[in-house]
Parts: sequence; structure tokens; C-alpha cells
Amino acid sequence: MSNKYIGQSVRRTEDKRYITGKGRYTDDIKLVGMTHASFVRSPYAHARVISIDLSAAQNMPGVVAIFTGDDIKATGIVGVPTGWQVNFKNGDTMKEPPHPLLIATGSTSKHIGDPVAVVIAETYAAAVDASEAVEVEWEELDAVTDPFKAAQEGAALVHADAPGNLAFDWELGNPLSEVDEAIAQSAHVTSLEFVNQRMIPNAIEPRAYIGHYEEHIDKYTLYTSTQNPHLIRLLMCAFVLGLPEHKVRVLGPDVGGGFGSKIFHYTEEALVTWASKQINRPIKWTETRSEAFMLDAHGRDHVTKAEMGFDADGNVQALRIKTYANLGAYLSTFAPAVPTYLHGTLLQGLYTTPKIHIDLCGMFTHTVAVDAYRGAGRPEATYLLERLMDLAALEMGKDPVQLRKQNFIPAFNGVSEPGYQTQVALQYDSGNYQGVLDRGVEMLGYENFRQMQREAAQNGKLLGVGFSTYVEACGIAPSAVVGALGARAGLYESAQVRVQPTGKVSVYSGSHSHGQGHETTFAQVVADKLGIPMEDVDIIHGDSDAVAFGMGTYGSRSLAVGGSAIVKSIEKVLEKGAKIAAHKLECAEGDLEYAEGKWTVKGTDQSVSFGDVALTAYVPHVYPQGLEPGLDFSSFYDPANFTYPFGCHIAVVEVDTETGKVTLKRFIAVDDVGNVVNPMIVDGQIHGGLAQGIGQALLEGAIYDENGQLINGSYMDYAMPRADDLPMFELDRQETPCPHNPLGVKGAGEAGCIGSTPAVVNAVIDALWSGGHPVKDIRMPLTPERVWRAMQS
Amino acid sequence: MAKITVKVNGKVYSHEVEPRLLLAHYLREVLSLTGTHIGCDTSSCGSCTIHLDGQSVKSCSMLAVQADGCEITTIEGLAPSGSELHPLQEGFKECHGLQCGFCTTGMIMSAADFLQSNPDPSEEQIRHALEGNFCRCTGYHNIVKSVQWAAQKMKEDKAVTA
Amino acid sequence: MDLTGSHILNADTNRIWAMLMDTDTLARIVPGITRLEKTAENEYKAVAEIKMGPVSGSFSGGLTLQDIREGEGYTLHVKQSSKIGNADATIRIDLKPTDEGHTELVFDGGAKLSGLLARTGNRVMSGVAHTLTKQFFNNFEQEIETV
Ligand code: FES
Ligand code: FES
Repeated sequence: MSNKYIGQSVRRTEDKRYITGKGRYTDDIKLVGMTHASFVRSPYAHARVISIDLSAAQNMPGVVAIFTGDDIKATGIVGVPTGWQVNFKNGDTMKEPPHPLLIATGSTSKHIGDPVAVVIAETYAAAVDASEAVEVEWEELDAVTDPFKAAQEGAALVHADAPGNLAFDWELGNPLSEVDEAIAQSAHVTSLEFVNQRMIPNAIEPRAYIGHYEEHIDKYTLYTSTQNPHLIRLLMCAFVLGLPEHKVRVLGPDVGGGFGSKIFHYTEEALVTWASKQINRPIKWTETRSEAFMLDAHGRDHVTKAEMGFDADGNVQALRIKTYANLGAYLSTFAPAVPTYLHGTLLQGLYTTPKIHIDLCGMFTHTVAVDAYRGAGRPEATYLLERLMDLAALEMGKDPVQLRKQNFIPAFNGVSEPGYQTQVALQYDSGNYQGVLDRGVEMLGYENFRQMQREAAQNGKLLGVGFSTYVEACGIAPSAVVGALGARAGLYESAQVRVQPTGKVSVYSGSHSHGQGHETTFAQVVADKLGIPMEDVDIIHGDSDAVAFGMGTYGSRSLAVGGSAIVKSIEKVLEKGAKIAAHKLECAEGDLEYAEGKWTVKGTDQSVSFGDVALTAYVPHVYPQGLEPGLDFSSFYDPANFTYPFGCHIAVVEVDTETGKVTLKRFIAVDDVGNVVNPMIVDGQIHGGLAQGIGQALLEGAIYDENGQLINGSYMDYAMPRADDLPMFELDRQETPCPHNPLGVKGAGEAGCIGSTPAVVNAVIDALWSGGHPVKDIRMPLTPERVWRAMQS
Repeated sequence: MAKITVKVNGKVYSHEVEPRLLLAHYLREVLSLTGTHIGCDTSSCGSCTIHLDGQSVKSCSMLAVQADGCEITTIEGLAPSGSELHPLQEGFKECHGLQCGFCTTGMIMSAADFLQSNPDPSEEQIRHALEGNFCRCTGYHNIVKSVQWAAQKMKEDKAVTA
Repeated sequence: MDLTGSHILNADTNRIWAMLMDTDTLARIVPGITRLEKTAENEYKAVAEIKMGPVSGSFSGGLTLQDIREGEGYTLHVKQSSKIGNADATIRIDLKPTDEGHTELVFDGGAKLSGLLARTGNRVMSGVAHTLTKQFFNNFEQEIETV
């Protein structure tokens, strides 16, 4: 079938409401009788609640109710769960201490901002005033914030029942003895000890929730700024509040960005839902940016030692990793999976490394939870591999492009050639790694670059180029596989295609759009598959009552998994439609072909349109015997494998030798995300990812002081990339179809964030080497001060 | 409580407000103009940008009472009368200058003020002008293009009407 | 946050020492203090108002003098809490006689901040501390002149 929309940069249909200010985010919603919540939070990272005095607050104007941790404890609600279980190397279950909604008297806060009470009042201002009047007596205790320090003897304990602050230890790959042996035999070993710093996600819309219990129908509604309404409903109903799911509706209206941070089930969601029933009125809570900094799950935060062994010709022989991953104080929804199954499993990279071993400790600290942040584990794996590659090239005096090429896994399409089995559990679907590198190098004009670099150095300017080639795993993933790896949910997606009697189509998707443009891309797919105009297609998402089920949007999975579910339903629609059409045309189904919105008897001009068939399905007067009326199908799609996008990112930087300031001169990204439905949207996803990845390299990073205070918890202190920090990006694409889903798509949401960080850091290191400063590492973010110090050493 | 009278998007409103009420909250809560967003508490993100007497202002950085007697335009009232969209609104759609849309309204309001005084800006000037507006989704690339597109469109429109 | 510095005051050590041990004087010279009450030997209850850029709030808490070395110095322990966060400071104060009846006051210590004070205040806190210190010595000097 010819495509009219797929592959085109169709302008987004959702834009109209956003550009006119008519978007409807959770905080924009007002319900009759709505109250407002404000939390009383711990000013200490680790402190015991001695007593709480509500007397002053209770009598303040407008106060409706105040609940404390003791109230919650009395109900028997334990707290929010994690959705993934990782076992210790010895098979023991990971430590999973409870994450209470509010801290009870006698218990301890475990990170700054941990809540002890919630004040509900007629207005937000009244709630804030009264929450400030709640007197809490604290006993301050020692805290630990660094994952490596948390593992040392004598470190402050986060949970009494997790000795050594260890949530789990974990390993993956070839037996350690074999890897040790291979490293020992290597002609050259490049080693690197580094910190992949803690990132704060910073979606521009702060989290917002409205809990609304309606007594007359005994039903709860939760409006939430979430990436996955059904998952929130499942977790909240089954694991936190013990509510019957059919009595709970979760709505995810317009959501202002997530980047991972809005996947997770947060305590406040459960709390406003629960409290709404206690006061029998709706309750809204919208976090302040200060709270967002403190409380939205952070990302990354690894302390790592990595060694890569090469033979005399530069062929990679082995990779050995030891990592301490910070999990924060409580295990968030996906937290245990991120440093393990989304990180360890990617350490093959695009190379044929025969021996790989990773040993990892998941650490509790007195910091907010660390969970998936754009890329989730894969940026950490890519950072490690690609830093090692460029550094090894410098150390061995080899060309970084050549060194990669000689170690690349050869191209394979996954159809006539098998997928590539890695040493770390995954099987890649299809890849052509040299293709993207060649194209990137061409765009860079590499042949002239070294000359320019030398000339620049002579003129006192340091130019550097950094390469990064990555492969990642998206479209998470076969339920049976993730289940075996500890996921406590399946990871399929659902879609319903409801053909209306007039031939217009409503599609209900379990994926959730918070900037990705599903309303457009999904409609492109549906319109082309049915041969109807896009205007005839409406995409509905974000409502657990409307959509059968869904696992939501993260891990670049929406089109690969959610889109495939839609295609499955469309196939069912067409199959049934053909029966009706055959009856109308008085022929056999096999004689029909479907194109451009109509069924035609092959070789004739006799046809019946999609709209006609739809009407007949609902007005079944002349109708095949035994066939049910209606044209409405649901499907669940469970992917056969992850998808494996890959690409090549190249950064060119200039380093000011006087000040250490890094200027990003060029950024080239050649990504292969499989087939592309809407190039404009895919480019937009890459741009956004690049900005976040570059932000990590040069600007961002959470800083806790030794007492566990987050000392850069505001936009005045945490450096997010602004418009004038970034250049125009130079993008190109290669399309290697995914062999195992009907659209051949792989996913583009995280790619930009995965490849870019090491490219930038490599470029700075390269610049420094060219100026005679052979440094191995500079700690991210590469602030002028750090770069300057590196040049002095 | 203090009484204020403001003209917002061409309509005059009078309200009794608490002296501590921020203008951003007044627009959102009292007038239900929720296109003005709030993204921070340090006047750093620009999501709440509006025009006050023709100039872009972060509406979270002033009190409603300070706007007494002023004329305000929010995103809901930006499109010139008779047309559905302002060239910047068109430009953002045309060039995919938005993803989640949360920063977009403030971004457009800032850019609109900027283009008034800089009808023919360079890329660098655009980036500099929008430095007070955070976007976490787009990496700014397409925002710059959207503003360039709008500048071009506004020039053409002017040429036609001139 | 580190708090260190020194200043030469125009009075002899005995007089400075007496002033440092007098509640009323202390209440007058410590910037922002609105109330200082003696609760026990060398223990005080203090209420302070501080308004400086983003750091503005009313603080209340305790002030203890420890390790008192007659005429030479003591260690001041201040624990203050407020809506914008808490401060916990320990400062060692030493008096050293210099020539011509002057006294050098040396202080050395640090403060632990929490809450909003730590989060948004850190950037400006050292500036705030600097200003408060200056005010303290200005007040001290004035007090020396007037009494
Ligand atoms: S909300 Fe006004 S600048 Fe952020
Ligand atoms: S479009 Fe989402 S923050 Fe700019």
C-alpha cells in the first residue's frame, strides 16, 4: 500500500491547543469544592521525628484537615512499592524497605523533603501558611549521600535492615576469572575511574495531582501529570491503597514533559487520592520548583571503575567494570532495573568484545530516589564505553574512528542474517554501525580536522573532536523476558481501533504523549493503513476509563510497542471489513484487495469504500450470516524483542586556555532509529535529547553537601542549558528497519541523550591532549574551573 | 484586600485581591487564563511571560496589585484581531518549535516582544533574547527556527500591507 | 559554611571580655537579634530577624557559651530554626591583646544550614555571613565608643 502520511513531516495536530494557551495541564483544572494541599517536609536528610504539634496550624483560617504519618500508619497503609525486583548474587531478594506516604513519629526522614504531614485548606496560600505553623521536633542524625562512601565501614545507615547500605549486589557477563585472565593477557589496558553525576530531570511542568472521591458513586478520580496512567492505577490500587481498580479512574491530561521523572508512582499521588475520601472533597497539589528539585526522582549517579583490554593491534579483548550505583533512600518504581538490566546489558556496545564482566552494588543513601532519567542506564553504559574508546585511542596513539571500525560488530539485518548475541544477555535485532560512523565522519570533514587542530594549537587555541557511537535497547519489551528479569508487570501495550458508523476512526492507545506527538504520528499510521484522511482519525490517550489498559510511555517504546498494537487492531478491522465487503460485492474475500480506502474486486473497477463497509457493520441489514455487527477491535501487542537503535555523535569544542571555558562549536548526530514515520518529530526528539546529554557534560549536576542538603536546588543554582548555551545541531539519519515489529521502527526518544554526553567530554579531552595536557578524565559537568585545573596539573 | 482594575486581552476586569497575590496567579486562578504557566519559584524559567503595557514581563515576578491600571496581553490574546494565529504561533507549529507545550506560551510571548524591536534578528540574537526562557524538550534548535520563520513572515506581511 | 575572620577592636581585653559576657550588650551588637534572654548559666534564648535578599526570616533558638576561658575567649554555639531552614553554628572566639590597649578578636568556626536556607541560600550565604560579620564589628565599635 502506498503511504501518503508515513515518512512525511506532517505538522502536529496537537499544536493548536498549545500555541494558543488552551493546553490543559493538571494544574489548569479546577473542580467544584476543590481544596489545596501543602506538605510539611523534613529540613534534614536524616532526622528522627520526636513530636509533631498541630495546635497552631489547626486553628489557622481556611484549614480543612491535617494528616500526619501517624494517621497514615493507623490505616495500615505501608507505602509505595517498587516495580522491579533484583536479587543479590547469592539469590537473596533485594532489600526493599517501605517507602511511607508520611513519616510517623519515632521514625526517621531519609532525604531532605521527606514529608511528615499534609495540610489541606481552602486555598493554596492558606495551606502553605498553616503548613509553616506545624511544629516538628527533630533529632538530627548523620547522613551519607555518596554511593561509594555509603559502602564504607562506619557510614551512616539509611535503613536498619540493609547492612552496609546495600540494596543488592549484582553481576552480569562472562565469569570474572575469564575476564581477569583476558585483561591480564592484554597488551594495553585503558582504565578509567569516574563519576557519572547525579542529574535532576526538570520537566518544565512541575508535578501536579488532583484526587477526587465522589461518595454518591463511590468512585475515585486521580488527575496526574504522569507518563503512564494505567500503571499508576495498578500500583496505587493493588499495592498502596488497596482500592478496587474499577472504582478508580486515572487521567493523565496534557503533561509538560517527563523525561522519566513522571513514570514513577509518587507518594503524593496516593496521598491526595486517599485524603480526598477522608474529607469528601477534591484536593489539588502542585509542587513548587523547589520541591521538584528535591523530590522528582533523580538520574544517573554512578561511581565506576572501568578497564578495557586490547591486544597489540588494538582489538578489544575484555571489559571489566565495578560500579556503585546510587539508588537514593527508597526504591522508586523502576530504580532497581536501571543500573542493572538497562545498563549492564548494554556493555557490549557496538563492539565484538569477547569477555565482559560487570559487578555492581545498588546503594541506599540519604538522598531522593534515583530512577530512570532520559536514557536510563544506557547513557551510563555508553558513557563508559565511549570514554574508554577515545581514551584508548589517545593512549595507544591510534585514530579513534579507526579503532572503533576495527572493533565494530559487522552489519546484520536481522532477517536474512541473524541478530547479534551479546555477552551480556541481549540479542541485537539489526545494525549497521559503520554506516552511521562513516556518515558522521563525512559530515565532520574529518580529513581536514586534525590539520585545523594543529594550526589552532599553534595559535594558542585548543580544538577538540570527540566521537561517540552507541547502541541502545528500546521498546521495552517481551513480557516473559522482563518478568524473568524481575519486572513485576508485563510490558506490552494495548490499542483499540473503533471505526464509527460513518467511517471515522477513534483510536484508544495505552501509550501516553507528553510532548512526543502521538496524536499526529499515530494518526499518520492509522490513516495510511486504512487509506483514509488523517482528519478522520482521532487518537485518545491518558484516561484509564476510556483506554482498556496500557503500560505508558518511556524507554522510547510508544511507536514500537504502542504503534504495533494499533497496527494489530487495524489488521483485525480490515479482516472483518473484507468479509462485509465481499458480501456486499458478492465475491469471495480472496478476490478482494484493499487500497486507498476501498475494497476492490481484483482486476475490476467494482469496489466498496471503507465508509460504506463501516456503515454496513453498524446497520447490518444486508450482512454476512453469522457475523457480529460492529467494527471495533482491541489488541495487546507484546514485542518479540527489544529494539536496538544506534548512531554516531560527534562534538567539536574549543577550549579557552586562559579560563577553561568550553565552547561547543559543532554537534553532529547521525542516528538510526529504524523506519521513521515523521522525520520532523524524530529530529525534534533527537534535538531535545542532545540538549540534555550536552547539559550533563557541560552544565548540570545535583550537589548534596555532606549533611545531605541539596545545595543547588533552584534554577539560580542548577545550570540547565539555555538557548545561548547550544549550537544548531547537524543531523542526519540512516534507516535500518527493525525486523520484528510491523512498522520496522525502533524508537527515538532517548537516542540524543545517550550518545551525546561522552562525545562532548571526549572532545574536551582531545583538545587538552592536543595542547599537551594528557589528562584521562575531568569530572562532569566540565565547568571552566575544572577544565582549567585539569590544564594546570 | 486591594482593588485592582486591569485590561486583559482587551477586556476590563476589576477585582478585590489579596496584596500578596502574584500576577501569574491572578491570571490563572481569578481570570482562568491558564495559558500562562508557572514553572518555577525563582523567576527563572519564563513560562509565565506576558506583555504588560506592551513589554514582556515574567508575571510571577510581580504582584497583581502592581498591575493595577495596566494593559495586559496573555497568549490567549496574542493573535491580532481578525487572524486566528500570530505569526509566531504559526511559526512554532510550522517548525516544530514545541513538544510538551509547557514552555511554549511564555516562549512565544518573549519572542513576540523581541521581534517588535528586532524584526531582522540573527540566530545569536534570538538565542540571547530567549535566554530567560527554559525549554527542556526541544533543545532550542527548532525554537530558533520558529522565530526566524515568524520574522520572515512578519516582514512579508508588512511588505504586503505597505 | 566556614565562618572565620578577625578584627581589632579599640578597647582592652578586659573591657571586651566584659562586653562579650553581658547579655544586654550582646543583644545590641549581634545583628538582627531582637531578644536575648538568659535561661541558665551561659545559656540564652535568642530571637533574631534577618532580612537580606533571599535570606529573610525570623529565627529562634538557643545560644550557649562553652569552653569559657576567662578573659581569653569562649566557644559560641548557636542553634536557630526558622521557616526557611535551620542553622547550627559553632564558633570559637579568641581575644588577643595587641599594643596600645587594643584587642584582636579572632573567630573560627562553621555553620550547618538546612532547608530552603541551604538550598537557595548557599549561593548568597557567604555574602550574607560576610555582611553580618561586618555589622557585628561595626556595632561592637559603636558600643565601645558610646559606653
Ligand atoms: S514561573 Fe515565572 S519565571 Fe518561572
Ligand atoms: S516544549 Fe516542553 S518545555 Fe519546551
